[in-house]
Amino acid sequence: MDFLKALSLEEAMLRAQALASACRLDEGSAFTAGLIHDIGRLVLATYYPRQLEAAIADAQLPQEALRLSRDLMDKQVVDTHGAKVVRVNDLQLSEVDGQLRLVGADVGLRGLLRRVGAEGLAERVVGLAGQKLPRGIIPWHLVEPLAAQDANVRVTVPRTKLALLHPADIADIVEEMTVDDRRAVFEQLDIETAAETLSEIEPEMQASIVSDLEQERAADILDEMAPDEAADLLQDLPEERREELVDLMEKDEAADVEELLAYPEDSAGGIMTTDLIALPAQLTAAAAIDKLRELQPDAELTYYLYVVDSQGRLDGVISLRDLVVTKPDTPISEVMDRNVLKVDATSPKEEVASLIAKYNLLALPVVDARRKLLGTVTIDDVVDIMLPRGWRKRSLRSIAR
Amino acid sequence: MRGVGIAGPFRALRRRTARRRVVLAGFLAVVGPGVITGFAGNEAGGVTTYSSVGALFGFSLLWLLLIASIGLGVIQEMCSRMGLVTGQGLSDLIRERFGVRWTVLAMIVLIIANGTNVVAEFAGIAASVELLGVPRIVSVPIATLAVWSLVVFFSYRFVERVLFVLVLAFLAYPISVFILRPDWPVVMSGFIPSIPTSPSALVFALALVGTTITPYLLFYMQASVVDKGVDRQSTAYARVDVFLGAALAGLFAFFIIVVTGTVLHPAGIQVTSAEAAAQALVPLAGARAGLLFAVGLCGASLLGAVVMPLSTSYAICEAFGWESGISKNFREAPVFMSLFTLLLVVGAVVVLIPGISLIPLIISAQIANGVLLPIVLVFILRLASDRRLMGDAANGRLATVLGWGIAGIAGSLSIAYLVASFLA
Repeated sequence: MDFLKALSLEEAMLRAQALASACRLDEGSAFTAGLIHDIGRLVLATYYPRQLEAAIADAQLPQEALRLSRDLMDKQVVDTHGAKVVRVNDLQLSEVDGQLRLVGADVGLRGLLRRVGAEGLAERVVGLAGQKLPRGIIPWHLVEPLAAQDANVRVTVPRTKLALLHPADIADIVEEMTVDDRRAVFEQLDIETAAETLSEIEPEMQASIVSDLEQERAADILDEMAPDEAADLLQDLPEERREELVDLMEKDEAADVEELLAYPEDSAGGIMTTDLIALPAQLTAAAAIDKLRELQPDAELTYYLYVVDSQGRLDGVISLRDLVVTKPDTPISEVMDRNVLKVDATSPKEEVASLIAKYNLLALPVVDARRKLLGTVTIDDVVDIMLPRGWRKRSLRSIAR
Repeated sequence: MRGVGIAGPFRALRRRTARRRVVLAGFLAVVGPGVITGFAGNEAGGVTTYSSVGALFGFSLLWLLLIASIGLGVIQEMCSRMGLVTGQGLSDLIRERFGVRWTVLAMIVLIIANGTNVVAEFAGIAASVELLGVPRIVSVPIATLAVWSLVVFFSYRFVERVLFVLVLAFLAYPISVFILRPDWPVVMSGFIPSIPTSPSALVFALALVGTTITPYLLFYMQASVVDKGVDRQSTAYARVDVFLGAALAGLFAFFIIVVTGTVLHPAGIQVTSAEAAAQALVPLAGARAGLLFAVGLCGASLLGAVVMPLSTSYAICEAFGWESGISKNFREAPVFMSLFTLLLVVGAVVVLIPGISLIPLIISAQIANGVLLPIVLVFILRLASDRRLMGDAANGRLATVLGWGIAGIAGSLSIAYLVASFLA
């Protein structure tokens, strides 16, 4: 910080010189006017030189500029390498090509001790034990500042570095942010990343984020999410808000979500997704492969290909491998596995979890009372149920409620 | 993750029916952080201090309780508003607004205040269990271990529910009031400000203020609001919730003082032990008074022993940017876990010092809180009236006047106490 002080003094002198030379040019009639105009400034400069200097310097910066002391010192920033939110204890500046550059943020104990003036003392104490104080400096290119905390001027810094992280990491970071920062992040991420990030965030917070977002954007993000996750999220919203959002969603997605919303939250129907591949039984192997080529499904949907009759009833299951090695003109109903494990939509989710665990499945089809295929529960939907309690995130959040 | 629309044709034509939801009882629906915090204030310190005040001074300090309760409402409202507007906790704001040095001061204050409170909670546990005949050398280590492992390995929420039920034993006080039929005009005369002449009055006045507006409650309140993510439109609702919570806390204290002032004060019984405090419930519960008081005190103290170390650790790690969270282990969140564990252990060890008397220990903790309160209040008042931080939601004239009024009263009490104890 001493660097900063030196910097502002130096600037003060430069600016004074500039002012003086400018005055000399404007001799004559403008002189008096200039003199009167500057009386206020003169008074300020005499009695509050540092404040005036700071005000002038501040006014000259563009609104979106990052102020070191206002926006960084003591503030929370994202360490994009460690994927966590940390607090800046000090800043590391160094001279590069005659210019003062910000090279790192000190988030460690050393910076903290330096601020209270105890770095030297602590160093000696730790030195007695033959140890060294650890440094906690994050290089600046790995730091993502959060928005400035100012109720009047909300400066939003584009979070380009954040968007490059894995959605699960972004989710961890977002969970530690304030409400405003959180909303700002979701306004800036591209829809796809936003959807994946939102899926990774804990349920109660998902609902509050979606409530804070603009309706259109929220609906776009919901469209992009897996229907079961979107339905779970919508479930936590007030009825009115939920209906508005479903209305804004794309027709197909909205229909999927609405169907899922009809099942109790902890039943197979409540946790299933309607994303699946169902092939009509009369298709030949070649036609089935053509169909897949046309659909271009995500990889996780191709583990199990379900075979259904004309009424949509689940007849069997076939693997991609079987489909590929079968002679092209053989109907898939001849090669499918008729012995398919399935659950009723009303079964409790614990039962689904134990079946998936017992038979080492990746997904389990869900049917209604008439064996009609409704959806599928994938292993990632039940992994939470199988994990011991302590694995799930707990924080002050669970305390405060 | 775009869906493959092939399930479409086979979709059951099902009308959407809103999924059944566990509908919370009407009571829980209106309960917000304010009311919960109001309940959380009924820890060992509160019950003991109010009992002592009633026993020593009768109704004559009720006016101070009224001021303290209004103060609690006013300050809690500021914390709730700050939480709503900034979405940040109190220690977060102190750090960002005042820098490291002031933060260190605020956190030292918080550690001392809350540390003494943890000691008080363990003293409460020991005192209540001793009423039932179990020595503290047995109860305190068990309680420490139980609290630590319950918080670390189980859900906090479950523990909280169970303990809330135990605290309900204290409903005995409001019920007692109806049985006792106190002389209401005499009770009400206690609301006329009068300075008691007894030398210990200053001490107990400070303890009364310190236990009603506990610094810990203010941090806890703001954290709850932030975590609940109440949206900004609901400030009116949040305000009602906060004032309701403060009113409930005040009313509860009022009942304790009325009961002890009616039963203990005329009989000249001083609250020097849990047995003495339990005497206040004899008219209601007869021989079971001890049991009733023990259950309530034990529940309240355990609740405090769970919440206090946790919220302290959260507040401090928040201020310094250290990793926190109860689901993390010692390697992931070293400071958080050590602090949490240390607070529990220190609390337990102090209570186990041979020959230490529990009730004075609890009262001393409240005095410490009272002494430190003004410092916390100044931080809160400066933050809540900062327009850059709060925008239009900054403190208005009324809040400013009331807030500084409370800070002034708390400040003069604590200075008077310090001067008096220095002279003595």
